[in-house]
Amino acid sequence: MNSYYLINLLIYAAVDAMACLGLNQQFGVAGVTNFGFIIFQAAGGYTAAILAMPNQSANGAFQSYIGGWNLPFPIPWLGAAVVGGVIALPFTFLVGRRLRGDFAAVGLLVAAVLLNLLVTNYRPLLNGDAGLSLIPAPLQGEFDPQSSGYQWALAAVAIVVCALVYLFVRRITESPYGRSLRAMRDNDRVADSLGKNLLSLRSAMLVTGGAIAGLSGGILVSYITTWSPAAWGYAETVVLFAAVIIGGAGNHLGAILGAILVPVGFEEVTRYIPTSNNLPPNLIPSLEWVAIGLLIVVFLWVRPQGILPERKRVIRPAALSPEASPPDRPPADGPAAARPGLAPAPAPPAAPAARLAPPADHEIVLQAVGVEREFGGVRAVAGVSFSVRHGTMTGLIGPNGAGKSTLLAMLAGTLPVSSGRVIYQGQDVTRLPAYRRARLGLVRTFQLASEFKRLTVMENLLSAAPGNRGDSFRGALAGPRYWRGDETAAIARAQALLTRFGLDGHANSYAGDLSGGQRRLVEIMRALMAEPRVLLLDEPMAGVHPNLARRIGNELAALCAEGLTVLMVEHELAIMDEFCDPVVAMAEGAVLAEGTMAELRSRTEVVEAYLVG
Amino acid sequence: MTTFLASFGFGLVTASVLAVAAVGFTLQFGVTDVLNLAYGAVMIAGAFIAYVINQMGLSVWIGLVVAMVACSVGSVLLNAGVYTPFQRRGASPITMVIVSLGMTLIIEFSVQAIAGGTSVSYTMSQGPSVRADGLVLSTVQLVVIGLSLLVMAGTHVLLRYTRLGKAMRATAANRTLARNCGIRTAQVINLTWAVTGALCGLAGVIFAMDAGSFDATATDLFLVLILAAVFLGGPGQAYGAMLGAVVIGLATEISAAYITPDYKYVIAFVALLVMLGVRPSGLLGATQ
Repeated sequence: MNSYYLINLLIYAAVDAMACLGLNQQFGVAGVTNFGFIIFQAAGGYTAAILAMPNQSANGAFQSYIGGWNLPFPIPWLGAAVVGGVIALPFTFLVGRRLRGDFAAVGLLVAAVLLNLLVTNYRPLLNGDAGLSLIPAPLQGEFDPQSSGYQWALAAVAIVVCALVYLFVRRITESPYGRSLRAMRDNDRVADSLGKNLLSLRSAMLVTGGAIAGLSGGILVSYITTWSPAAWGYAETVVLFAAVIIGGAGNHLGAILGAILVPVGFEEVTRYIPTSNNLPPNLIPSLEWVAIGLLIVVFLWVRPQGILPERKRVIRPAALSPEASPPDRPPADGPAAARPGLAPAPAPPAAPAARLAPPADHEIVLQAVGVEREFGGVRAVAGVSFSVRHGTMTGLIGPNGAGKSTLLAMLAGTLPVSSGRVIYQGQDVTRLPAYRRARLGLVRTFQLASEFKRLTVMENLLSAAPGNRGDSFRGALAGPRYWRGDETAAIARAQALLTRFGLDGHANSYAGDLSGGQRRLVEIMRALMAEPRVLLLDEPMAGVHPNLARRIGNELAALCAEGLTVLMVEHELAIMDEFCDPVVAMAEGAVLAEGTMAELRSRTEVVEAYLVG
Repeated sequence: MTTFLASFGFGLVTASVLAVAAVGFTLQFGVTDVLNLAYGAVMIAGAFIAYVINQMGLSVWIGLVVAMVACSVGSVLLNAGVYTPFQRRGASPITMVIVSLGMTLIIEFSVQAIAGGTSVSYTMSQGPSVRADGLVLSTVQLVVIGLSLLVMAGTHVLLRYTRLGKAMRATAANRTLARNCGIRTAQVINLTWAVTGALCGLAGVIFAMDAGSFDATATDLFLVLILAAVFLGGPGQAYGAMLGAVVIGLATEISAAYITPDYKYVIAFVALLVMLGVRPSGLLGATQ
């Protein structure tokens, strides 16, 4: 093996690893499936080319292109990164809250095909199908690009840049901001309801990944000195996806490993397989593509987590040691609490804990005014008006299909209203998206399991903590020293909640591995971490052992005494009896009655609605 | 006017091919919830199967029937062997799309490995042409249009008046509920793959007839036209796909006559991206 071949492999490895790191940051960490990833590498390649090349007329005029600024190194590389990031901006309209992830992926795939088609056919822009050639190598005036020393130096620089990219993406991923990205990946609707701006997070990832891809393209053209549409067909993106999936999505070292195994191992190495005259000319490349398709499908089936799976972020604060637990609350984990007789009940079940001051003394914090919701002609919620008063634990009951969950979703903003208004703390929030309402303290939980599966219980809780300095792109880049204080405080709060609800033992378990009841607890604790003023709970006790349900009720009642307001949808009427006052009864999309549970029981229309429903 | 009529004729043929393909694709997605990007690869596999039959000296129309059967069986196997196992494991829609992209590479490049990278054509007579003013259509083109109309009518009858069609619509609307109502959804899904697979094979062969010559990667761009038609009408909406196919088919060919053929697909791409960005439920789909 001669040294030129080795240099070739090293540079390709560095470039592919960079691209895979960018893609992994988007796909593996943030869950943004960018099937148009190759566009950004292509843009970087072209940018570096036209920045470095002389004007087309000065270049023998055999190729036509825009630009040709003849700029010195390292401007072409920097320009490649900038343009790679900037051209991501128009695509951000595909990744908002509204569009399904798979539809967005198809949109990006189509964009990649379209741009390739345009560049191929429109010659004046970037020399069309033939592409650009004679792209100057960096500093080729000062050094001889063909010399072995120059080539080694270029390889070394590429590897150093790749290492810097690795440190950059790791810094983002391991920050509180990275945790928000991973939370969004695991369940975007829930992340939205906890105050994460999905559009902003995804746009930041498109731009970051785009810039990394652009830089990789710039470095690549400096080495190969040509760049044409054939180099960036949509299928090249699939190769990078194969690399990330095989290496281990979500693990940056896995992405590098994948880059070495798939694009380098497959494409570059097999390029040098001697072609036998007996074989049809297209056979080997065709079979390579078949193999890449097989690798993707087989890996997703056999080892979806990849060779190097995303590692678990274990957090062991001082507070996790046993002596930090309050002595008056013996920690009881979920299974123990679920065993009758073993669960500690801080308040005797017979004593109703939520009988607070009469509601009339409390100001209104949340109000629905004529709220309606239609689903294709069916009025799920038909003009509901009611108010929730501060410090109460208000119940919302009704038969299946009464519109309770729909109403809750409209109050929280996860579902837009068809008409009507939602007033929160005197402010009309009807037009505010869910994440903005969550940031104002109006937080909801979901009826179906909604934990962030691949985050630990502790991370689930931390992900909801507001105001962490490291929970922004800039904060993440500023590094751990900038945000460690906030992080420690958040860990302490999370730890206190875990102790309060008796889940300390599971702080470092993956939330997806817990039992159903424990997952409900995680959800409630996570919502509490978001520092809600009004907490909207959608069947928090469903599938939870009665003892644990009572414990949750008691804790919530205690929090209400401290100033929290709770609106709770629940089918378990015993819970309503014990904790909720007032209780609102709904049927067929409308409010039927409001009062204490005892009062509601005496109202015939409520009883009938239940019996009929 | 002549240019317009001529391009209108091309547009009608393209729209016909597109309608068959798009209806199959959209039913597949609606009923089974798989955004099967390998659809284009299965199409071209069908086109090549008909080519092999054709090369054996038989009529391409026999090849068409064989291709329909083969693609039908192939699609059922693709679902049973790949997509259903992934779905049963709870794979996310994103994972399913990645899997389907992997299957695209496997099928398309297996065809290329066997057939080689060169373009081929069917040996067939185009038949006498029919002309009305500038509108010129060969007999084959007329047959393609007729077949497409037949498929559209058949789809309408299937969805409106047959038990299978009603079961398909029920399964598309809510699979769990359909199952609880006594519909054998697994069977409905298999039959859906069989029917849409046959449509896919038919679309592949008439696409190849319309294109004249084709190679293994010929449907890469056509898949984008299919997606554009499907998303224009609303994913899962059979009538929407028909409408989308007519709009996209006519728009591409007529714009090709007036701008330049190099950019004839651009209008479809733009339509698709705009629909995704503005109204992903499509023109005929329900809004949230």
